[in-house]
Amino acid sequence: MATIESAAPGQALSAKRKRKKSISAGDIFSYAILTAAAILVLMPLLWMFSTSLRPTSESFQLPPAWLPTEFRLENYLAPFESSVPFVDLFINSMRITVAVTLGQLISCSLAGYAFARLRFPGRDLLFLLLLASLMVPGQVTIIPIFLLMRDLGLIDNPLAIILPGLISAFGVFLMRQFFKQMPQELFDAARVDGAGHIRSFMQIALPLAGPAMATLGIITFNATWNAYFLPLIFLNSWHKMTLPQGIALLTGYMGSGNPSVVMAAVTMAILPVLIVFLIAQRWIIEALTRSGLKG
Amino acid sequence: MRQSRLLPDMTPRHREAFVGYLFILPTYIGFIIFILYPLIESMRISFHDFSLLRGSVFIGLDNYAQMFADPRLRITYVNTIIFTLFAVFFNAGIGLILAVMLNRRLPILMRNLYRSIFFFPVLIAHTYIAVIWRFLYQQDTGVINYYLGILGIEAIPWLSNAAWAMAAIIILDVWKNTGFAMLVFLAGLQSIPNEYYEAAQLDGANERQLFFRITIPLLSPTIFFILVIFMIGALQVFDTIIVLTAGGPGDATRSVVLYIYEIAFRTFNMGYAAAVSMTLFAIILVLTALQFWISRRWVHYE
Repeated sequence: MATIESAAPGQALSAKRKRKKSISAGDIFSYAILTAAAILVLMPLLWMFSTSLRPTSESFQLPPAWLPTEFRLENYLAPFESSVPFVDLFINSMRITVAVTLGQLISCSLAGYAFARLRFPGRDLLFLLLLASLMVPGQVTIIPIFLLMRDLGLIDNPLAIILPGLISAFGVFLMRQFFKQMPQELFDAARVDGAGHIRSFMQIALPLAGPAMATLGIITFNATWNAYFLPLIFLNSWHKMTLPQGIALLTGYMGSGNPSVVMAAVTMAILPVLIVFLIAQRWIIEALTRSGLKG
Repeated sequence: MRQSRLLPDMTPRHREAFVGYLFILPTYIGFIIFILYPLIESMRISFHDFSLLRGSVFIGLDNYAQMFADPRLRITYVNTIIFTLFAVFFNAGIGLILAVMLNRRLPILMRNLYRSIFFFPVLIAHTYIAVIWRFLYQQDTGVINYYLGILGIEAIPWLSNAAWAMAAIIILDVWKNTGFAMLVFLAGLQSIPNEYYEAAQLDGANERQLFFRITIPLLSPTIFFILVIFMIGALQVFDTIIVLTAGGPGDATRSVVLYIYEIAFRTFNMGYAAAVSMTLFAIILVLTALQFWISRRWVHYE
């Protein structure tokens, strides 16, 4: 891995590299710009974290202390003790996110496999139609979906968010690309052994689809965990809301009075994303790059 | 070949087709209920005076006609277009600069570290970022004005002045999303074959010429892709605005999607909201078609 990566990047200037190895003015300039940009990116997050650990009375301290000066962990307990049902918000978000992610892993791997490796009349047309739905922005379909959910009595019910989330045209596309790349010999061998299509899928395709499933899982998890539009429309009582909703309201409720507590809540809400990112960084970056380049 | 226990009476070809339909069934049920039906229904609703309170009456193109007489719609479209132009320009521009710098000879560890830092905000919810920046943007107590003050700049009314509020939303958006452009540009840069640069260098090209004669032309499909993707995303801006300014001051930062949301779910005038959403859909459709058409021409070109 390391050799591949170190060979590929920076190749633009490799011819130059042979001639001179010293650090040029351009290099110093690049480092300066990159470092300045990195600091600008990190500062709001650092401010969030250090504020979350500061006593409430000092949360507006200027100049801001970028590193935590104190460790007031009670700020992290405050959201749980306030009138805001923080635990419920967390559980609601987690429940919706896990249900949507699992649902998409199942529905997208099945459909992706069918579109990639099975032959049936109308296959390509059906796939194209599905793909075209990527162009439909969520705001266009939301009104009929809202009316539908209202008729089903699902307003203020997490199912109103979970059900539309169970499928994904992007996910089907991602899984189809992956299954298409698998060597045909694998499936021929299974056929000779008498495996049917369902067994080929379950015992050959699926066990090898780990990386693609992980990619889809991470992208879906993050998108659902961060979603705001749908929950805002469907969930309106405190005990049903998701974390982004709750935190947006928390800011409004406690207002500018208690940034330390709000920042502690935001830090906790970002934590799952940070953990997933640190663990699966390579996958996320590769997947997003690939999906980006393919268009 | 062993007969399937599940489907004993079918020919292998029929069995394959049956399993195929079975496998796409869950996706297609969801697709029909949650995308296809709502899309058609939304079009139908857009021809109705459709209100949750008053019921539904067919009014033909009245909703569409009403749009031309709606000054707030014009304002929200102007806001959205201003936001889109600036956000796309800076996201793509800064993303490209960062990618070009990361593509220079850097130790692999440094490159990965910078890349991770630039990319991380992409993964954080707009909502949380808006909550954080709302504190940073405070006029008297905010961190940003404090540092500007050190530089001798007077406190900026970030969220209470119309022009500055728009700037605040654009800055936040660039902070959050430029990492994605950087990532895609970096991948594009790394896929440019080295031989081109070597050949040009042998001919005595300088770094500037390399960049404008080789990098930019070969990167143009990626640049175009990023422009379109970011444009489509920016036209739908909502989360950031509702948390940071709620469209204010006045209508200064109200976006089309925020306006649609308010018409549909605050005043429950769903027919008009559906009609407005159709205009946004049409714009996005044209942009997507354009990208598809041009990217095909490009593929042909090579």
